[in-house]
Amino acid sequence: MAERKLRILIVDDASLVRHYYRQILEAKCFEVEEAMNGLEALEKLLVNAPDMLIVDVNMPQMDGITFLRTLRRQALPQSSIPALVISTEAGAQDIAAARAGGANFYLVKPLGWDVLTQYAAMFCGLPA
Amino acid sequence: MPLIKNTFHRPASSSPDPAAALTSVSPDERWAAARAAGDDPVNLAALAQVLARESDTRVREAIFTALARIATPESALAVLPYLRSDDANIRTGALDALRAMPEAVKAHLSQALADADADVRLLACDLIRNIRDEDAPRWLCEFLEIEHVANVCAAAVDVLAEIGDVQALPTLWRCAARFPNDPFLAFAIKVAADRLRANAPGSRV
Repeated sequence: MAERKLRILIVDDASLVRHYYRQILEAKCFEVEEAMNGLEALEKLLVNAPDMLIVDVNMPQMDGITFLRTLRRQALPQSSIPALVISTEAGAQDIAAARAGGANFYLVKPLGWDVLTQYAAMFCGLPA
Repeated sequence: MPLIKNTFHRPASSSPDPAAALTSVSPDERWAAARAAGDDPVNLAALAQVLARESDTRVREAIFTALARIATPESALAVLPYLRSDDANIRTGALDALRAMPEAVKAHLSQALADADADVRLLACDLIRNIRDEDAPRWLCEFLEIEHVANVCAAAVDVLAEIGDVQALPTLWRCAARFPNDPFLAFAIKVAADRLRANAPGSRV
């Protein structure tokens, strides 16, 4: 039986950013899904839960922190999906807000290929 | 006709003075007042004043919506400071409101693009996306020539890819040359350039 690919949901309103992450992650054999904001991400999670989330902070309609807070209040297993927040916001208060909202880790944009693949592997439980 | 007389307490939406009701102790009344206040630009000052101290998320959203409905340069000016809020929810509310009033935002764009806060400049780039103005690509090109934060440049490049044309290519190359060690910006510029070339008249799709 073929092994299931690990799935990552990218939640970011910038199409170029989603495209950039997709290119990196697909090259490492991850399956990638995209959502443009927190609301769309919540809808996608209802259909098919990914193995990991990559979440931006500033997005229209529902920002990343509100999305994570909503997600963490849901039932298992959705509420336990690991989430990596990647944002341009580099202030200590932004990182603290993301952590309080339910982020497992926080990285500041821009990100190189190696850093993203390293964190994706770690969050999905793959060997480094 | 209903069999039971409706004794439900109506919130202040029917109040003759929404500006006064905006300071009610009841969040429901403030919410209804904010919704009503968007009908008349005369309520702008009251809306701007209560926005600064409103802590209820639902009421704050209604105030942002009311200011967006008023949609004057003054209402945009009342919203702009919230782009620098520490609260992502407030930033999102402000950004959504500003996106909904592109013509009103236009008057403040040059100021927002020159803001000392890189996050405000980044969000200002995003606001240009919705502005229908033939000069918008030129504003972004001029901005890209001087912006010194790679992330902010990437936001401008993202918008330029949507609204620009091949005349922006030299600006994109110069921007790429200024940030040779930023992989995302290099990627963004390549994608934008491919897109602008593909959209050029006479190009093959």
